[in-house]
Amino acid sequence: MEQRAVMPEPIVDERVIEACQAGDREAFRLLFETYKDRVFSIAVYSFGGDETAANDVSQQIFLKLITSIRQFRGDSAFTTWLYRLVVNACTDEQRKRRRFLPFGQATPMSKIEERRPQEQRYAKLEIADSVQAAIQELKPKLRLPILLKYVEDLSYEEIARVLGCSKGTVASRLNRGHQALARRLIHLRNEVAE
Amino acid sequence: MFSKHVTKELSAYCHGEVTSQQSRQIAEHLIACNRCRIQFEEIKLGVKLAERLPQFSAPDSLWMDLQTRLAAETKTNKLAATKLSAFSFKFWQPAFAGALAGLILIAGFGALWLYSRESRPFWEVARLNGAPRIGSSRMDEKGRLAVGQWLETDGSSRAQIEVGSIGQVEIDPNTRVRLVETKPTEHRLELAHGKMSAKIWAPPRLFFVDTPAGVAADLGCAYTLEVDDVGVGLLHVTSGWVALQLKDRESMVPAGASCATRPGIGPGTPYFDDASENFRVALWKLDLGYIVDGYIVDTPDLHSPLEVVLTESRPRDTLTLWHLLSRVEGNDRAHVYERMTALAPPPDGVTREGVLQLNEQMLQQWKDKLEKTWEGESRLHKWFGVGIRAVGNVRGVIGKR
Repeated sequence: MEQRAVMPEPIVDERVIEACQAGDREAFRLLFETYKDRVFSIAVYSFGGDETAANDVSQQIFLKLITSIRQFRGDSAFTTWLYRLVVNACTDEQRKRRRFLPFGQATPMSKIEERRPQEQRYAKLEIADSVQAAIQELKPKLRLPILLKYVEDLSYEEIARVLGCSKGTVASRLNRGHQALARRLIHLRNEVAE
Repeated sequence: MFSKHVTKELSAYCHGEVTSQQSRQIAEHLIACNRCRIQFEEIKLGVKLAERLPQFSAPDSLWMDLQTRLAAETKTNKLAATKLSAFSFKFWQPAFAGALAGLILIAGFGALWLYSRESRPFWEVARLNGAPRIGSSRMDEKGRLAVGQWLETDGSSRAQIEVGSIGQVEIDPNTRVRLVETKPTEHRLELAHGKMSAKIWAPPRLFFVDTPAGVAADLGCAYTLEVDDVGVGLLHVTSGWVALQLKDRESMVPAGASCATRPGIGPGTPYFDDASENFRVALWKLDLGYIVDGYIVDTPDLHSPLEVVLTESRPRDTLTLWHLLSRVEGNDRAHVYERMTALAPPPDGVTREGVLQLNEQMLQQWKDKLEKTWEGESRLHKWFGVGIRAVGNVRGVIGKR
């Protein structure tokens, strides 16, 4: 799975959205290029690092986007609408997968653990890897606000709209998420302080 | 000041999601409340960790996979086919689509460039003398130093920077500084050369200055820092404490003390400015050896520098001796220990063996006891500093946008 720095992206504005609603394929390609990495990232974190599942759910999300973009009326920001779609798709897919797993079998969240045995994880000191693993171990209700804040760079207000909760709840969940990360990765304190 | 604890607001505070008044109140509460400050350090670490969260690149095949799936769904789902038919050929005319995409891309990049340029966090700068420059432009009476920009003074100019809302930095003539970062969890300046004086009123370890020979981390109040043309730095603390660091080497410098730092070596041993000249010269030799024609040479002396440092040391100079414990070895460490015991005996539970083996807990216990001696004369400064913070000069820690 390739990781890369965030690059400047073309801005998707009202005209692009309108062009998509009118069926403009190139406008949709622009929309896809703008959001594909962010959508894929949330999916990767939601499925415990399982790229295949993330790829599959990303396709579903963009298909849903194509078929329902005409229903977007601009009542909220486009990103709020899109991320609500992403969060719902990831949650539904997780439910489905859980339903089809035999009783007692681990969910795909444990896949990342299988690929990275404990000793290998400890040997690998790369901070990003450790943070990634710690994020995947968080409960979804703490993980989602963190992803929407740090991967999508949304404000508390936007996160609240996407998750359908209050700003106070977002603040409280982020607080708990930050604490959980800090406690789990306290050994990296000096590395991130530099 | 907030009478109740602020732990629930700390993430919002770090992200600038509270009002400026709340921000001020939280900052004031943090200075006064140890419990919330500990929580703040934890949340701050969580924020810094989360900022390292990588974004993944979607596989290149995703677009093709999507097209394939779209085609399949179109075949099997008539309703979907109707909805999607608009995407098939209606606007799919290469010339029109190419031109539209090009225009959108150009407009997008232009807007993004303008947006990122305008929205970069900045500090306000006031001209004190002459004609300081920000980037390549001469500044007027007031200016803005954005993240990534250099502020430079010539031989006759000086400037004053407002560090977000947590303090002020005065820039002396012939100095070059750059704003590296300003956010609620970290304000960072780079001092390439020259001299600056900082007064900071914020919780510890929020304001940092990078130099070619280490990083100065503010632990509260006021100091001057200078860097010469070859990158050698000198820190002088006038109030509170400053930590000077390079990798694993750290010197803790209290008010009234100074510490040099050298590229590739890091911080030297801190010393009080009122120590004897013999003491300071010997310490300099001990830290760096002897310099002949710009080269460090190991020249024997009638008296070893360590011997001079130990003989000349007063109880207050245990600041220097405590740092030397972990920087000298074998018999030298034992000599330092003996001298320290004579000047200020260790507290109960701190043993000779433990200290000689550099037991961290014991070294810390001894340091805690010694700090009273080190801060003796500077205690007034310290309380003055606490007073400044408590009465409301704390104006929050949010960088301006």
